[in-house]
Amino acid sequence: MSRRVLITGTTRGLGRFLAERYLAAGDRVIGCGRSESTLEHERYRHHRLDVCDEKAVGELTREIRQRDCGLDVLINNAGVASMNALALTPPASARKVIDTNLFGPIVLTHAAIRLLRQSAAARIVNISTIAVPLRLQGEAIYAASKSALETYTRIAARELGPLGITVNALGPSVVRTKLTAGVPEEKLQRLVDQQAVPRLATAEDVANVIDFFLRPESGLVTGQVVYLGGFG
Amino acid sequence: MNSCPVDRVAIEQTIVRALEGANASREPDAQLDTSADAAIFGAPSPLDSLGLVALLIDIEDAFAAQGCTIALSDERALSERRSPFRDVPSLVAYIERVLTEAGAQG
Repeated sequence: MSRRVLITGTTRGLGRFLAERYLAAGDRVIGCGRSESTLEHERYRHHRLDVCDEKAVGELTREIRQRDCGLDVLINNAGVASMNALALTPPASARKVIDTNLFGPIVLTHAAIRLLRQSAAARIVNISTIAVPLRLQGEAIYAASKSALETYTRIAARELGPLGITVNALGPSVVRTKLTAGVPEEKLQRLVDQQAVPRLATAEDVANVIDFFLRPESGLVTGQVVYLGGFG
Repeated sequence: MNSCPVDRVAIEQTIVRALEGANASREPDAQLDTSADAAIFGAPSPLDSLGLVALLIDIEDAFAAQGCTIALSDERALSERRSPFRDVPSLVAYIERVLTEAGAQG
């Protein structure tokens, strides 16, 4: 059955991949990002917005309510990284990372609950990172923002369970995206070498876990954080 | 754009309809009183905290459907000495205040 899927950060990378994947599966996809999208499809709509902008997100959800009469899936994918020694990270840069990675999903979730409640299989999926369990040096702010998102996920699962909404998170292992483009090759390899299954993850690996969370049969799967590659 | 008419009767009707809607998914022995002076949260109402959240979302939704965006459960509501969610009259008064202030702010 066709689902109504809202994905943040669809202009590139994993978000774009997921949008294309669910469009191919016959779903209706609403995407958003700070840039215009080059993705064109009869079942895709794009909103240019900042996920931290409550007013813009309010407009987005009002439009979804009117055009789609609700929502089945929210994937909080939009994120920014700031790989830098914390002593050299200006507080303003840290705030930007925390805003996008934590406050953004909070804004989207708050708005989407009202659309998801009527769905027979309402799902929220948050994207975390293996930087949380690995406590990676140079990623203090990024990992802290995602760590907070994981706690938010677990508590949201408890609060939204009675409303029929599951909330889970996925921490991809090393995937080649724009987010990891600035990380030296040796560092990426060292991370891969620490995995139980030492290979780079692909977007399909990530989508596989999300597919599991989204299945109608996964109604009791909530409050979970799944890391790829054997971390945790 | 917010268009929030401040009308006690309309507010009360919205709350009562939300209570009736909540009853649709509640067990026969846990039905909520839907009268104009019904208790909402706290004895003798059987509504628990999660049920209150769902009810408040329903009420916010009902106002949103009329083009009126309001947030009912902010710090002020939670910090008031007597909960504005205790019964229908107190919730009507609280929503009336929220709507009046929203109107005053444009």
